[in-house]
Amino acid sequence: MSMEPLSRKERAIHLLNRFAYGPRPEDLDMLLEQGEKAWLEEQLSSAPEPNRALTAQLKELETLDLTPHECFEYTEVDQENDGSEEARRKARERQNIPRKQLSQALVRRAVEKERQLEEVLCDFWRNHLNVSFTKGNQARILISDYERTVVRRHTLGNFEDMLMASAEHPAMLHYLDNHLSRKPPTEQELRDVERRVRRRTGSRSQGEEAATIAGQKGLNENYAREIMELHTLGVDNYYKQKDVIALAGALTGWTFSGGSRGTHTFEFRKDMHAFGDKRLLGKIFKEDKENPQAQGLAMVQMLARHKGTAAFVSMKLARFFVADVPPPSLVKRLTKAYKKTKGNVPSMIQSLVASEEFWSREHYRAKFKTPYEFVMSAFRALNVEISDFSKVHRALMDMGQPIYHCDDPTGYYDTAESWLDPGVMALRWEFALGLAGGKVKGIEIPPNYYDSLPQEVPRLWQHYLTEYLVPSGAGKRTRNALSTITNQYLAKARVPDSRVLGPELVGLLLGSPEFQQQ
Amino acid sequence: MKSNHSPSRRDFLRTAGLTAGFTLCPSSLALSRSSFSWTKKKPGSLVCIYLRGGADFLNMIVPYRDDAYHSARPTIGLRKEDGVVELDSKFGLHPGLSAWESLWKSKKLAPVVMVGSPHTTRSHFDAQDFMEFAAPGDRSVRTGWLNRYLAATQKKGASEFRAMALEKLLPRSLRGNYPVLAVPRSMEKKRGAKTLSRFEEFYGVGGGVMEGDDSMMDRDGDVVVKSGKVTIETLRRYQDLLEKGTSSVKYPSGNFGKKLQSIAKVLKSGSGLEIVGLDYGGWDDHAGQGGVEGNHHTRLADLGNSLKSFCDDLGSILDTTTILVMTEFGRTFRENGNSGTDHGHGGGMFVLGGGVRGGRIHGKWRSLTSDGLYQGRDLAVTTDFRDVLAEVLHGSLGFEPPKGFFPNYSPGHLNLY
Repeated sequence: MSMEPLSRKERAIHLLNRFAYGPRPEDLDMLLEQGEKAWLEEQLSSAPEPNRALTAQLKELETLDLTPHECFEYTEVDQENDGSEEARRKARERQNIPRKQLSQALVRRAVEKERQLEEVLCDFWRNHLNVSFTKGNQARILISDYERTVVRRHTLGNFEDMLMASAEHPAMLHYLDNHLSRKPPTEQELRDVERRVRRRTGSRSQGEEAATIAGQKGLNENYAREIMELHTLGVDNYYKQKDVIALAGALTGWTFSGGSRGTHTFEFRKDMHAFGDKRLLGKIFKEDKENPQAQGLAMVQMLARHKGTAAFVSMKLARFFVADVPPPSLVKRLTKAYKKTKGNVPSMIQSLVASEEFWSREHYRAKFKTPYEFVMSAFRALNVEISDFSKVHRALMDMGQPIYHCDDPTGYYDTAESWLDPGVMALRWEFALGLAGGKVKGIEIPPNYYDSLPQEVPRLWQHYLTEYLVPSGAGKRTRNALSTITNQYLAKARVPDSRVLGPELVGLLLGSPEFQQQ
Repeated sequence: MKSNHSPSRRDFLRTAGLTAGFTLCPSSLALSRSSFSWTKKKPGSLVCIYLRGGADFLNMIVPYRDDAYHSARPTIGLRKEDGVVELDSKFGLHPGLSAWESLWKSKKLAPVVMVGSPHTTRSHFDAQDFMEFAAPGDRSVRTGWLNRYLAATQKKGASEFRAMALEKLLPRSLRGNYPVLAVPRSMEKKRGAKTLSRFEEFYGVGGGVMEGDDSMMDRDGDVVVKSGKVTIETLRRYQDLLEKGTSSVKYPSGNFGKKLQSIAKVLKSGSGLEIVGLDYGGWDDHAGQGGVEGNHHTRLADLGNSLKSFCDDLGSILDTTTILVMTEFGRTFRENGNSGTDHGHGGGMFVLGGGVRGGRIHGKWRSLTSDGLYQGRDLAVTTDFRDVLAEVLHGSLGFEPPKGFFPNYSPGHLNLY
């Protein structure tokens, strides 16, 4: 295998594959004309998104900018609910509006935005600090706000800020059960409960039972553990069970005001908080009576600035952008950038691009697309028009990666090993044939997509379409297979029609080995 | 040039079907190919069902007469009058599993109490990894225990259709050097067969040679090509078996029942299917677990009834089939304030099938007192889960795990078979 440096064209393809959801047909030429540096600068710019039409259209999704409290109205049972099947169906539909609009917005951004890198990074952070609609009803009203105020707001900022924002967000507190976590009740409190219930019910055993239940409400370690295991240090790095308990203690009372009368915003509840000094990773965090939340904030901040976090986040970024097993030298380089900048994301991206490893031929076209990347890149390469976004959700669900639906706090994996089971390819093939064949109502390739093919030389259509879908080129076997289809078609067709042969070739190209790689 | 990726599946798919053995395992395991030249000694099958989320076994194999149990679980605890199926003077089955009473009586059901991992992690992900790789605490092992069995007993020219998972994604226990098929449900239909034909040529099915291609599909591309090829060949075989198969009983209408129904067809076809992996998710009952009613009950009823149908459907095939029901860890001894339980330590397992010594409780029970509990809050682990795995491999498949199969561990004896 040749190890010569990537050519100018190959570098452009590499950028579009890793920093964007693949090229649209015109993108490669545009990038080459604009130049690598200018393109990257634009991608990292904080100026408004150039695709104004998209921005305007997203404004029509009225729930995107709502607070959880405002979203809550969608989940309330309709006053006019007469209990009929129809009324129930309507209520269900309304409850799902925020979730559906969010998923629609994310797909549209991934496909249509000019600032592609921002979307790719959002996907990375979404999985790093995973929350999920599958957690339960409350998630329905919380996640749009989480996407906006945690992920999107900080995706081109500092990781430290994003982590702190996530720690105070109801979506995260709910997802990892921290909103329930509280200091265990004292003996005196238990006796009070026992007495109260005994007096009310006149039953001694009921009083005791109530006290037993009250005694079991207490610390929930779930979130504290995942902060260290998944969000900052990495599993079993630096911390022990006693650290989990210390952090969980400091985070007691970090909850939100829920229910039909709640504000659905973050709330620090003193009455749930376990006061007292705590020791995390060997460092003492004093109790602050005036501002008891400060202890937890200081702990999370220390974790954000920990060298273990720098290394862990850097490893994950390198894995996501470069290779499933990232070169240690690259991870080191990113870790340095992280430490210097409190995890400033653009700085880390710059450091990535400045590295030799990122541009190494070894990594070119060598990363397997996740289902999400596969679907988004197909949409972009084909300029699809989507009118029914539930079909996109369905497709992603079938392939195992619907947006904001990962049960596991790990988020979706980004390595081939996690996705490439024999059998999984079949799901991609079904999707490819369905999409290209116009079988998916609501996701259409514009018919004129095929009109630009040189009508007089149908034998070349496969090459043009390959250039659109896999500009890095197709291997011999794929070329042969496409020729077979072309020949079969030309033997039958009296007047070759690119709108007939075109979709057939596209379906196969989408399912080809080449299109699975980025 | 030596590439820099993980030694697990990628390397494997590269060698899939070409070489046998364990040459790609971490050398620290000292697993040489020769030490693994085992062959299967008896025809049998193992259906491995993983309850994801840490299922509360204490409310499945219930110490329904234990006062300590009831005072720790005042709302979710189960009593005789709740419909507990009495197994003996001490233990009963959750009423959701009442369909299993006949399996107990016919001595086909062997519950194992207080099973678990010596590793104390309470993280789902770690605990599942450790258990499915059967190497607690050892992150260098990245092959599943079922996959290691398959690789160790691989024979030249044998059917590649020895193992499958009816999951879109392969459970970790089945990941590794031996290629195992993950079957998406849509592939059970005719349309699925047509889809496969369209991509034959692209993935070198039917005479496609891997070598001799130009530079396009380099290293990793190869992995995709091989994965596609395996997909087509094995899915075809599976479709064929389903088409010819029949069911002799009705199954519950849920997804899990449907999966078992398909598996029964394949097992009854005598096609040599040895290993099946099935996931059942949603057992992380932090809240709303409930006792006689609630989420836990709903799931248990589906699990119990579906497996009962499966056993009935298999008929005499059940004599050579073992069903293993497992989870990553048990849950806290005491219920929490949300009518649920939190991540614990010791759990349990069910071994079900023809050859097992059923109709009795296996494993050592420790009293539910502060002395008997682990860290005063969880069930203890008195049986290492690998003891069960080892015995199941031997009892159901005639495979005695050689030294090194469970890295740094020699399984003890339980008399499960």
